Amino acid sequence: MPTMEIDGRHFEVDGDGFLTNPHIWNDDVAQLFARYDGIESMNDKHWAIVRIIRRNFEDKGMAPMIRTICQETGVKLREIYDLFPLGPARGACRVAGLPKPDGCV
Amino acid sequence: MRIANSEMGTANSELTREQILKGLEPLGTNGDSKLLTHLNSCVHCGLCAESCLFYLATKDPRLTPARKVDLVASIYKRYHTFSGKYLPGLVGARNLDTATADEMVDLLFGSCTGCGRCTMHCSIGVDISYLVSVGRKMLSNMDLVPSTLQSTVKAAIDTGNNMAIPTADFVDTVKWMEEEMADEVGNPEASIPIDQPGKRILYTLNPREPKFYPLSISAMAKIFYMAGESWTLSTRMYDVTNYAFFSGNREEAGLIANRLWKEMEHLQCESLVLGECGHGTRAFRWESPNYLDRGVPFPVMSSVECIANYIREGKIRLDPEKITEKVTIHDPCNLVRNGGVIGAQRFILEQFVPDFIEMIPSGADNHCCGGGGGMLSMSEYNERRIGAGAIKAEQIRKTGAKIVVTPCHNCVDQLIQLNAAYKLDVKIQTMAEIVAEALII
Repeated sequence: MPTMEIDGRHFEVDGDGFLTNPHIWNDDVAQLFARYDGIESMNDKHWAIVRIIRRNFEDKGMAPMIRTICQETGVKLREIYDLFPLGPARGACRVAGLPKPDGCV
Repeated sequence: MRIANSEMGTANSELTREQILKGLEPLGTNGDSKLLTHLNSCVHCGLCAESCLFYLATKDPRLTPARKVDLVASIYKRYHTFSGKYLPGLVGARNLDTATADEMVDLLFGSCTGCGRCTMHCSIGVDISYLVSVGRKMLSNMDLVPSTLQSTVKAAIDTGNNMAIPTADFVDTVKWMEEEMADEVGNPEASIPIDQPGKRILYTLNPREPKFYPLSISAMAKIFYMAGESWTLSTRMYDVTNYAFFSGNREEAGLIANRLWKEMEHLQCESLVLGECGHGTRAFRWESPNYLDRGVPFPVMSSVECIANYIREGKIRLDPEKITEKVTIHDPCNLVRNGGVIGAQRFILEQFVPDFIEMIPSGADNHCCGGGGGMLSMSEYNERRIGAGAIKAEQIRKTGAKIVVTPCHNCVDQLIQLNAAYKLDVKIQTMAEIVAEALII
């Protein structure tokens, strides 16, 4: 099983760095993963996006549409790409502890 | 990303006899002169090494394209030639066993994007990427397609699109982008037609557009609107991708291609315009007649060619003062080297981009981004994929461009990652996005 070390903590991840076990996720893990992607400190918008992704995953087993993220958080579409430079999938979903979505992402 | 990974490319268990027999089927040539010629012609000149981004990025001789050819040819020799059957050690013939299969997975799935640059450079014209696809088909027959790639194929087959987007969510997103587009063109009546029969064009999308990157939908809708086009999207089949083209499973690739074909018949549209997706364009336009044993009876074109036509016909006008930054173009292998669409994207940018620079090399000789061949979906090869992307990152850096345009969503995603990993500080855009920005309303 691939592992990734951040700040002395070891995480079991897939090759893309997505958590293998989404259930060990918590706010500390989110912050560590975000910092790893160059987001030094998560602001309210980062948290709002991560929480809605997380809730959708827990309810429906998959990442939400970006439309749902914008609707529920009030964050503008274009701003999401600035908040998470690696994009909604490899950026936001990874910080939210989801498995990597299928497809060209 | 530094990830310790001990599981890269393993078949994990012993092959059964049935698996081996199925794996050998694609080599049962039955006088297939193309396969026989390419399997037996490599002269090991080594020119292909310098054409391959995996070799160039690592200088690892194991990753040269000729080694991939040899691997498939050695199995052919073992089961189909006199010397290979009786003196395998002398002629480099190999059994198809677990170790061979592991190496095939690692070399043919894990270190080849099927970009075809080696094929173009081969001194005697061996179709190396064709032999890689034969090897992938052998692995597919043995159920050894990496599960990460296969799950994308499965999502497409089970749900109708490779990201398993429910239809209601798709429609909501299209309606949302319709508002965005209507706002931009200043006409509240401007619409994005869905499931409307009898239109001139059926347009397709990469599912990552509705799921995560919908601005390319409103961008293309804006172009269609300004061109006065008669067009529609379909809810039943809008997915332009065909990951079974990568996995080597022709039946599944045919099943997916046939859905698009059926939808054209169902909606009675005149032409199919394929969204910005390199492999999707190739898999339908050039490969589907092979899967389906019949020629495509309606015109098919990429959206890049469609936009170029609008400009030629004077249907859209572009503002040459809108884009002020330096722009370069990344040529997707499947659309450009393997699909022949080379001039259209340059013709479009010439119309309105004053500061344009080519990468070196470019066009048919361009380097792959490193994310093709299904590589983007196979997590286990993440590090190798980003490593091989060093070649592309360096090409981009040398142009000094601030915007990289590429007519392929798969390339876009790889380039977004390369942008972060190699600190390129560029903006990555699809062709529709940059054109929509400069459209004169």
